[in-house]
Amino acid sequence: MARKSDMSPGRKPGVLQAPLAYRAPAGEEAALARADLVFTGVRHAEDSFQTRVFLNNPDADDTTPATPEAGYAGSFTVFGHGGCFGDVGHCDIPRGPRRRHDRRPPHPLTPVTKTVVVTDALRRVLAQSPDGLTSVSLVPIAKAPRRADCGLTDRLLRFDAMELRTYA
Amino acid sequence: MDEELYMRRAVRLMSEQELAQLRRAFAEVMALNDDRGYQFFAALHGLPPPFYCEHGNPLFLPWHRAYLYMLEQALQDRVPGVTVPWWDWSSPGSRGEGIPAAYAQPEVDGAPNPLFAADVGLPPDMIALVRSRLPGAISDDDPPRTVRDPDPPGDLPDAAAVQALLEAPTFEDFSLRMEDVHNFLHVWVGGSMAQVPTAAFDPIFWAHHAMVDRIWYLWQMRHPGQTPSAQLMGQVLAPFQMTVADTLNINDLGYDYALQVVA
Repeated sequence: MARKSDMSPGRKPGVLQAPLAYRAPAGEEAALARADLVFTGVRHAEDSFQTRVFLNNPDADDTTPATPEAGYAGSFTVFGHGGCFGDVGHCDIPRGPRRRHDRRPPHPLTPVTKTVVVTDALRRVLAQSPDGLTSVSLVPIAKAPRRADCGLTDRLLRFDAMELRTYA
Repeated sequence: MDEELYMRRAVRLMSEQELAQLRRAFAEVMALNDDRGYQFFAALHGLPPPFYCEHGNPLFLPWHRAYLYMLEQALQDRVPGVTVPWWDWSSPGSRGEGIPAAYAQPEVDGAPNPLFAADVGLPPDMIALVRSRLPGAISDDDPPRTVRDPDPPGDLPDAAAVQALLEAPTFEDFSLRMEDVHNFLHVWVGGSMAQVPTAAFDPIFWAHHAMVDRIWYLWQMRHPGQTPSAQLMGQVLAPFQMTVADTLNINDLGYDYALQVVA
């Protein structure tokens, strides 16, 4: 598992490099049936955005084509709440244990889990690189109402941790 | 056949007569300013608070199925038999033209097309907040109108992406993956659709969600034993008087999906 706090900045503001390394167990490369990159604690209180995921391409940024050759593995999109429209504290997510008789549903802005299926991209990496998977690059793109306002952002991608889950 | 079972149709395959009925139903619901009207339904999803919509959890699909059902009932109160069509954004046609023509024409026969845009009837202070915080989400008109700024049609998900969704083995897995594609479509349309607070004011919201609902229906047919968890089944989908279990059979809700219906 890679915590967001462990990640380093990429070439451009907003791009993140994750210290995630993976090699398939010897002789079991072909048994890889599915691989998921799972992001936990993803915030969605602000504007909408997309995060593009690249494997073994530490130079990836918003100009990198979303192609297998560039290590593109997939993306996830956050449909944002656009900031707070209530009074002070309206969008604060309660912390700590809930009262025993509090049966209200979770706060609508409770962070979510996002999954990117990266099976094909990981298979390619394992087939091509003797060192296996050495880096994961995350490229967050703001998806504003106006296309002219869309682009690389360093303020929207907020999450707790990322992990790779493989299945045989 | 159940005579009270209505068919939702692919918008690109609807006849001129069917589209005229749909426009009439939307126009009449938009003219109502009470809890039978378009503004009432649009506001349930976003502004003004509270936002009742469910995202990022397993209630996403059931809640939006109930939501569409409620609007469809309101449309049928005005024009019997009319249904919310689905926008198959994965079809080759959509990936060529983008927004379907029925929703892209500002006027039809010299009259405003209610499927093209809608008023965003919010209090003045909230309109000011939307304009400052989400520039481009609503028009500069008074009252503001919904707007769009779509990405290139070729960026839309293709049929293979839908097929991949249908292979998800469990409801929870399908829901997670379906919601992400759904999110992508919202930001692809741009404008009002790109952000939760204003999305449901755009008339194309309903056609997009009918497509999401249809894919869920197709997934249900492929995975008949896979249902939401028992814990989820009894959960009420506020503010609707429906539970998750109430949403699982679309025929119980009075509709089905047909590519075309020929009498």
